[in-house]
Amino acid sequence: MNNQDFIRQSDGLDSKSRYNKSIWHTIHTDPPLLIGITLLCGFGLLVLFSASGGDVPVVRRQALTMVVGLVVMFIVAQFNVHFFRQWAPTLYAAGLGLLGLVLVIGVEANGAKSWLDLPGLPSFQPSELMKFVVPMLMAWYLASRPLPPRFKHLFWSAVMILVPAALIIIQNDTGTAIMVTMSGIFVVLLAGIRWRIVIAGFIALLLASPAWFIFLAQEHQKNRILTFFNPYRDPTGAGYNIIQSQIAIGSGGVYGKGWGEGAQSHLDFIPESNTDFILAVLAEEFGLLGVLFLIALYLFVLARGCYIAFSANDMFGRLLAGSITLTFFFYVFVNMAMVSGLLPVIGLPLPLMSRGGTSVVTLFIGFGLLMSVQTHGRGRSV
Amino acid sequence: MAGKWQLKDHEAEAQLFGRRLVVAGVLVVLLFVALIIKLFNLQVSQYDYFSARSDGNRLHSQYVPPARGLIFDNRGQLLADNQPIFNLTVVREQVGDLDETLDHLDSLIGLSSDEREQFNNRLRRNRVPFSSVPLRYVLSDEDKSKIAVNSHKLPGIAIEPQFVRQYPLADLAAHSVGYVSEINRAELDSLNEEERENYGGTNHIGKTGIERTYEDLLHGTVGYEIVEKNNRGQVMRRLDRTDPIAGKNISLYLDSQLQIVAEEALGNFRGAVVAIDPNTGGILAMVSKPGFDPNLFVTGISNKNYSVLVTDEINTPLFDRSTNPYPPGSTVKPFLGLGGLHHGLVDYEFTIEDPGYFRLPGVSYRWGDYTLRTAIGGGHGHTDLQKAIYQSCDTFFYDLGNRMGIDTMHGFMSQFGFGQNFAVDINYARTGVLPSRDWKRATRNEPWYPGDTINSSIGQGYMWATPLQLATAASIMANKGKVVQPRMLKAIDGEPYLPEISEPVADVVVNDPDYWRYIEESMSMVIHRAYNDVFREYGTAYEAIAMADREMPYRMAGKSGTAQVVGISQEIIKSDDIQVSDLNQDHGLFISYAPAENPNIKPQIAIAVFVENGEHGSSVAGPIAKTITDAYLLDILQIDFAALNSVDDELIALVDE
Repeated sequence: MNNQDFIRQSDGLDSKSRYNKSIWHTIHTDPPLLIGITLLCGFGLLVLFSASGGDVPVVRRQALTMVVGLVVMFIVAQFNVHFFRQWAPTLYAAGLGLLGLVLVIGVEANGAKSWLDLPGLPSFQPSELMKFVVPMLMAWYLASRPLPPRFKHLFWSAVMILVPAALIIIQNDTGTAIMVTMSGIFVVLLAGIRWRIVIAGFIALLLASPAWFIFLAQEHQKNRILTFFNPYRDPTGAGYNIIQSQIAIGSGGVYGKGWGEGAQSHLDFIPESNTDFILAVLAEEFGLLGVLFLIALYLFVLARGCYIAFSANDMFGRLLAGSITLTFFFYVFVNMAMVSGLLPVIGLPLPLMSRGGTSVVTLFIGFGLLMSVQTHGRGRSV
Repeated sequence: MAGKWQLKDHEAEAQLFGRRLVVAGVLVVLLFVALIIKLFNLQVSQYDYFSARSDGNRLHSQYVPPARGLIFDNRGQLLADNQPIFNLTVVREQVGDLDETLDHLDSLIGLSSDEREQFNNRLRRNRVPFSSVPLRYVLSDEDKSKIAVNSHKLPGIAIEPQFVRQYPLADLAAHSVGYVSEINRAELDSLNEEERENYGGTNHIGKTGIERTYEDLLHGTVGYEIVEKNNRGQVMRRLDRTDPIAGKNISLYLDSQLQIVAEEALGNFRGAVVAIDPNTGGILAMVSKPGFDPNLFVTGISNKNYSVLVTDEINTPLFDRSTNPYPPGSTVKPFLGLGGLHHGLVDYEFTIEDPGYFRLPGVSYRWGDYTLRTAIGGGHGHTDLQKAIYQSCDTFFYDLGNRMGIDTMHGFMSQFGFGQNFAVDINYARTGVLPSRDWKRATRNEPWYPGDTINSSIGQGYMWATPLQLATAASIMANKGKVVQPRMLKAIDGEPYLPEISEPVADVVVNDPDYWRYIEESMSMVIHRAYNDVFREYGTAYEAIAMADREMPYRMAGKSGTAQVVGISQEIIKSDDIQVSDLNQDHGLFISYAPAENPNIKPQIAIAVFVENGEHGSSVAGPIAKTITDAYLLDILQIDFAALNSVDDELIALVDE
């Protein structure tokens, strides 16, 4: 009861202050989140400038992508969260349709046949859309069911998550499939799935992993895992990236070598220094302090996302915001852990730092959804 | 409670969500903590290790090879220069799949199997890790740009500039100046630790001739630099540098103009010329023909070019004829005659009646006079030492040698350098053979027979001498016994070089100094004694030299020699009905010095000419010596003999007054 009171009170206080004091609410923007995102973007561009060796066109294109992302975020935020709730099944069905279309007329790039090149539209990856459509559908599905979810709801949830994930795996884009699956699982976890099921599932995964490794894993996946345990089994081949990345991070020390002074990155020892391994450049040039600063920025954005999820006025909003926030964290953590050698190498970018196109815009759609949750319908709940 | 399952308890669900979010938040923080611990481990605990690894990645200590010293001739003309070239090099450790990379290069610039093989040989050599190994020397501009454009696909492949030897005279001085070529395994092994370090940045080492003899002077001292390289092995920055010390520039006594004259004078013959300045011992010209282009060896001679050089069994261009021995033939006669005078075996009045052959008492075999074998027959008749020299009478020297005995002959002749190498800095020159009882016992395990002495008396049999030795002996004769040992090196970095000779060769001393004048007169007669009414009383080289140039402003002392090609039986050579092939023809030899018999000027040049299968010393080798002497005295030294002689006349006039 106390909790409930507290929620109400804080909810009321918050909405009151917002309505009275700022125009942010009317333009459906959350200032703390915007500040966090902007700081991350600025820091990202700074590091990218150095990582790309002062390549101004690269930095300009990245900045432009971020501006486009901000605009998309702003547009998404204008839609009421109920709109997404109503349209979630339709978006999901359309997403599945597009994934099916990719299988037929998809275009291949970087080893993954995941691009759609439809006339009149810029080419895009439907699998990217699923990163927020799947949690949206899961939130829609579970929000209207009693929580914690019953077994049959969990079963259907699993089906709804695994069908798009399977379609993406067929496109040979394991990284995105994992992200889509995780974004759905986060909804289920937040919806209060029983711990014993979680633990049982975790144990099942652990037990199944050797079988996966022996029977299903592809050669490069096996290599990555073996390399993770011992990078020096092939120091100039599979282990090269992680060894050079660790050298870069380690040689940065506490204070770093200084902006633009990273020998590892400027002498091209770090592969993918603009994309997946940009953290190595940051750690080399800005040291442990720079990485801590980055983690602080991420924590700030994550905290704000949690707050938005926590204070959302309905379960759909809570689940959607919570899932988006945790997915964002998952990105950040997996990338940082992989670059520092804590996890095997998985081709995932570092959000708002790595150079990218579609995936950056997807992130901003997520932020738009968070702002939509934060700024719509609060009045009605009180 | 069972009935409640369809109702949604919003408060309870919100609390459940809240709890889950808290759990998630705790997990997020815990995972970040784990990450920070890992980063702390990398950046703080292992900072020193990774910092060193990072420096090891980018910092490379590399050798800076010194510039090799230049070689000049005695008038500042370059004999060996350094030219910049661009090499394609490979750092093995930075190349992933070597075969794939080589195939890629092949598609770009075309690699021959020869090149690949040579490259693999170089790779197998003991080398410092991460050092660059040349794949191709001398890249064309086109190939350079093709590789530059594709460099991102070719890690470990680089284009490096290098200075390499270039020999402007090409095959004209190939043997005497020698050449540098890639260091091989054996040469590296023969260096001590310190020397090997000094050769760290050097690909080349002197292999023959001066390049080898003065390797220590020419090479210099290696320098070092620390450079920053990117992951493709390209040097980005130079951080520290210890400059190398260039090798010394050296000047030789060799005169390239005279060298060219000598080479041209040999014409199409195979052979050798050695010319020495008797006053300094300086070697003015040293030619072995045919030569070869030493430039081919500098950047790694191809198997094809090399096999052309080594399979030519007739011309053997790599064989240095100037420092390898041949039978000296009659060119030894003036020295033997001098020995006869010195030891009292002959005097100015001593004569023999030459029947055209010589017989040892109690032996039926006749040693014929080879100089007469194609002539009218019979002997030289009434013959003294002087005539025996200018007519090259074998019979006289058979008799003299027989009476002298091999021990005395060996003792006297060795003072002129026969059987030894008098040269100060041509240690690769062969010593030939000045036979003796000990020598025959040691090499053949046979006693010395009187007949061996007879053969040796005319420079045949066991006696072998190199053109360098003959020129040395001629130069000692020109100096009237004063020995100035032959040498190549004249100056180091412009400073005149005086070698320290640990055991200087003693001068030749004879009982009466007039013997020198007498022998010089006899040798001068070889060239200047004209045809006259008396049978066989002209110099053997008169027709070819003095008669051919009646305006000759100086006198020249000389001696021809014709040496039988060894290995072909006497019967075949003497027989008239067998067509003697070129290869079976005798070698022609000639030694000389000039100007001779001139009170105003000492001899300036002593020459030995060897013409392989030239048949006659006097008619073939003689004119070659004359051409070279002319070029040196008249064109290079520009001695005005008319003026010299007029000074002499004035002096006589003065004394008369």
